[in-house]
Amino acid sequence: MRIVVMVKQVPDTTEVRIDPKTGTLIREGVASVMNPDDRLGLETALSLKDAAGGEVIAVSMGPPQAVDVLSEAYAMGADRGVLLTDINFAGADTWATSYTLGKVVERLAAEEPVDLVICGRQAIDGDTAQIGPQLAEHLGWPQVTYVGQVRSEGDQLRAWRRLPDGDQEVLCPLPAVVTVLDTPGEPRWPRVERLLEACRPRAPLESWNAADIGAPADKTGLRGSLTQVVETFSPKTKRETRWLEGTPAEQAAALVADLREKKVL
Amino acid sequence: MTNPAIRSDPEKLLRQVMARFVDQEVTPRAREIDERGEFPQELFKKLASMNVFNVRYLGMKKGATGNATLYCIICEELARGLVSLAAETAKQCLMGTNFLYRFGSPELKEKYLEPSMRGEMVGSFCLTEPEAGGDLGSVTTTAVDDGDHWIISGMKTWITNAPIASYFTVLCQTQPGKGIRGLNFFFVPRDTPGVQVSPRFDTLGTRTTEISEVAFNDCRIPKDYLVGLPGKGMGAFFAILAEIRTMTAALALGVARAAFDASFQYAQERKAFGKTISKYQLIQAKISDMATDIWAAELMIYDTTRKLDQGQRVDKESMMAKYFATEVACRCVDQATRILGAYAYSMEYPVQRFFRDARFLLYGGGTHEVLRQNIARAMRF
Repeated sequence: MRIVVMVKQVPDTTEVRIDPKTGTLIREGVASVMNPDDRLGLETALSLKDAAGGEVIAVSMGPPQAVDVLSEAYAMGADRGVLLTDINFAGADTWATSYTLGKVVERLAAEEPVDLVICGRQAIDGDTAQIGPQLAEHLGWPQVTYVGQVRSEGDQLRAWRRLPDGDQEVLCPLPAVVTVLDTPGEPRWPRVERLLEACRPRAPLESWNAADIGAPADKTGLRGSLTQVVETFSPKTKRETRWLEGTPAEQAAALVADLREKKVL
Repeated sequence: MTNPAIRSDPEKLLRQVMARFVDQEVTPRAREIDERGEFPQELFKKLASMNVFNVRYLGMKKGATGNATLYCIICEELARGLVSLAAETAKQCLMGTNFLYRFGSPELKEKYLEPSMRGEMVGSFCLTEPEAGGDLGSVTTTAVDDGDHWIISGMKTWITNAPIASYFTVLCQTQPGKGIRGLNFFFVPRDTPGVQVSPRFDTLGTRTTEISEVAFNDCRIPKDYLVGLPGKGMGAFFAILAEIRTMTAALALGVARAAFDASFQYAQERKAFGKTISKYQLIQAKISDMATDIWAAELMIYDTTRKLDQGQRVDKESMMAKYFATEVACRCVDQATRILGAYAYSMEYPVQRFFRDARFLLYGGGTHEVLRQNIARAMRF
């Protein structure tokens, strides 16, 4: 089975703090990590490879330093990594991002058919959960979201979706796109010798730009985006405590009058 | 156009992975493991699954020392979580397996080294004796040539990992009266008749590290279990001694950072007289002193490892790094117990563990009383 896994480099949110004055994230000095759901996606792909053989290709879109998540993916057992890095990709919303990722899958599939694309459910910096489903739309492939376990069955994939009211078992034809939020076991740890191999010039990690995947500038990055983030802020909540004086009956009357005045009652 | 040149920095990447391992796997369990006081088998196996024990040997030519910087990064990060786990790992990577790696026959390596790298066996290193510590010329354990065999006899003490070890690398005197020139190393499997391991010692800190005495009562081992150059045993030891000391410094740096992190966080949360204690100058002075000490220790350690990786002699530098970084660790854990006040005295908070564990580092790799004398001697003073 030939599997493409999308991995994103995100700020480590356990370290991110909010600037109390501006209400925005303080990113300075915050470490970057592999998005946790993407790590689960990678583990899912590697488990499928362990069971049935095949190839796992990790793909990441981001600045040059995002190569770190590909190095880690390689150290966990991925066979190959592709870093999509191009100034034209900057500022992409989910639509432009999923278009760009779709072009990568198309190029990889042109080399040799791709059976499965795995994405994490969502990234901890954006929390949209849109990339997987949009990518499936761009490719015209079926999609299975919120998956906690998979099994390869010939040219089909059996998947267990973790839904709020219970698990749902589905059988899906391949090729398909799957988004993952859990794995039966913990994701494996990277191996030291493969980490070091990933840093060497001949490591199977490639960098592709817009021209490499045939993505026109007006369809990628900020220009290709359908949405724009105007402002990021923490919701402001105002609290005021008022003490009601008097007997319990007087306090109750004052409370009701106050709530009526504020049109709560 | 594709750009094949974008690559990660191996030191930064390894540190990131080890830091995440410590934050996710070690720190949340450290208290429970320390209280139980047993060898942390599960974490040891996880480190083996990452091939951590092999870090010094990866891509190394036979006989070369290797990857000191990467090795010390691993030791430092693990010590930030649990000093005893770091010390056990450090030993498995270096002293426990190194003579086997450099001088063992292919059969010995297959039987013992490979399972050690997989975390299935633990190797231990026997240097200290009841009457010989820093003064190795006084070692009285003997190896007597008996035709096809060596006969090993003597007593070793303060042997880290001995209660759980599958084999020992033992420093023995082969020519009594020759002092340091007669010393060499011998490989003794634990199941050799005559090997006797005492019950573990009860210690103040690093309570998951099992330490005991080992007696060798006329143990017969094959001739090729000599793991050293004939007549030049100590040369092989001095080749790794600088690295042992630098590694000990890295362990100290890890525990110093743990004490600093706990202090830094607590001082910004704890309020006294209407403001957090971080606003008081005496606390700020402590935090500044700790941070400055830690930075200096870091610079010394990684300057020394880079020289080691380039094949330079760093006898003096490694002694200075070990001495300085361990004193820094002792100062930092002491300051942390003052910043956290009575909470540092509670077994519920990790600072008491840092305070106990830091003491372990004073002795391994040479006491500071001996090291300071040797530093002066290294300068021909």
